[in-house]
Amino acid sequence: MRLAAFLAHRLALALVVLVGVSLVVFLCLFLTGDPAALMLPPDATRDEIQRFRAAMGFDDPWVVQYLRWIGRIVLDGDFGTSLRFGRPVGELIRERLPATALLAVVALAWSTAVGFVLGTIAAVRRGGFVDFLVRAIALSGQAIPVFWLGLLLILFVSLRLRWLPTGGYGEARHLVLPAIALGAYYMSAVTRLVRASLIEALDQDYVRTARAKGLSEWRVVVRHALRNALIPVVTVQAMYFASLLGGALVTEIVFAWPGIGRLAVQAIQNRDFPLAQSIVLLAAAVFVVTNLLVDILYVVLNPRIRL
Amino acid sequence: MNRLAILRGMPVDLWVGGGLVVAVILAAAVGPWLWPVDPLHGALAASMKAPGSVIAGQWYPLGTDQLGRDLLARLLSGLRLSLVIVLIAGFVSVTLGTLLGLIAGYFRGFVDTVIMRAVDIQLSIPFILLILLVVAVIGPSVFNQIAVLGVTGWAIFARVARARTLEVRELEYVAAARTLGLPTRSILLRHVLPNILTPQIVLLTLDLPRLVVLEASIGFLGLGVQPPTPSLGNLIGEGRSLMLVADWLVLWPGVAIAILVVGFNFLGDGLIRRTEVRVA
Repeated sequence: MRLAAFLAHRLALALVVLVGVSLVVFLCLFLTGDPAALMLPPDATRDEIQRFRAAMGFDDPWVVQYLRWIGRIVLDGDFGTSLRFGRPVGELIRERLPATALLAVVALAWSTAVGFVLGTIAAVRRGGFVDFLVRAIALSGQAIPVFWLGLLLILFVSLRLRWLPTGGYGEARHLVLPAIALGAYYMSAVTRLVRASLIEALDQDYVRTARAKGLSEWRVVVRHALRNALIPVVTVQAMYFASLLGGALVTEIVFAWPGIGRLAVQAIQNRDFPLAQSIVLLAAAVFVVTNLLVDILYVVLNPRIRL
Repeated sequence: MNRLAILRGMPVDLWVGGGLVVAVILAAAVGPWLWPVDPLHGALAASMKAPGSVIAGQWYPLGTDQLGRDLLARLLSGLRLSLVIVLIAGFVSVTLGTLLGLIAGYFRGFVDTVIMRAVDIQLSIPFILLILLVVAVIGPSVFNQIAVLGVTGWAIFARVARARTLEVRELEYVAAARTLGLPTRSILLRHVLPNILTPQIVLLTLDLPRLVVLEASIGFLGLGVQPPTPSLGNLIGEGRSLMLVADWLVLWPGVAIAILVVGFNFLGDGLIRRTEVRVA
């Protein structure tokens, strides 16, 4: 019962957030000025522009325009038409989505796995040389901007050593460098987080009990302490998901990866606002839904949280 | 082991972080004055020379770009502009966020709900996309960039300020101030604000690396500071196509960004450990 109330509350919140985001995004477009001037050829007569405005509904108050825009998206899944490509926005996004999803999932997977291993080693060997080394790696991973790391990888791995292609899409070898560039920051973040929360967990009484029972250190760390250290990691991982989208955007530009991020930047550079607007809205929706799922997972995962 | 133990006792992170930050800020502040080479004009005879080249009696310690412009001069002037943008934007975010958090935490109720929902909204928009969109809409001037970065960064400060205000407003001295009939504005600004300010400053130190990278990314994508004026990001963006023949154009601006980020991170982490500020 309490769980149901909690879910309803979180769901309502997510909805409010989405409406807010859509308003901000809509007003951005609204403020760009007359969309008719963008959509019609420059030699259109004043009469043509007037008729076009009336036909498209640009003369209505902004509230009406907003409701019509959001209504089309929600009811028909119609995101409008790209000014640049002259094709439905939904279609363009669907085409590019798999590339971004692939890149994001691979980056998130390797960074989480490596971060867990490094963080655990550092926590167990706290204060030693290995710990120092891991912390140095984590620090540099967080200090280097994604696009610069990407360029360095291209410079040394592709151009100098000629091991991997500088960009492109389709084969596994195309995926390696972008995934490394995109995942490096998260690897560092996960490492730091796992290390910190594992060190905290290792100081707890139940860990001492487990040790006193004569369990092997490996068992104590993996079966007892690490389980508890998992909880903050899951939460933060969700927060990083949003910046992963931002990172993907830059990574895709650097490696000419045909995903949503590159589409978004091209749309913005071309002032193709219907397309840009829809991508921002979608990205926000993905983020809100992820956060919602994580909140729920958090409650399920941690029996100490009683609602 | 012994040496590491000694290091742990000293505020190494504060010294290292503070040192790096001061060094970079000094380089940005007095660098263009100590190295009075024009960042916008170069000699074509000196185009694409490697770091350390001497052309016609002129020394180029970091090399030159395709127009023969001195990279050190461009880096110093780009660093100055990027730092100015980031620091002012950070100041705007912290001011906005603290005031809104203060109001939300002190008055509670409806105002609180509205402000905190706005925080949720703000935190769920992928920043870089929104910023790119807005900059594209209003134009990529330096002022617009500062405004957009500043206005979009307030949410995290509001959240922390509100949490502290909720605690502080229950303290006796605040109750005393209320009993004395002081105007609310003076209770907020003179009595509550000083007590919640420390975490905000620490938080700002940790938020600056994010702003540095964000500003550089925008510049790299060509939507920030417009060439020929250099910034940390657009230097890398411009050098990108020449990377194979002139890698220094991409390497040095990146090193500058990394130093800035490491410096602020060390400083922020060190401050957090010493002030027991919780940033959740």
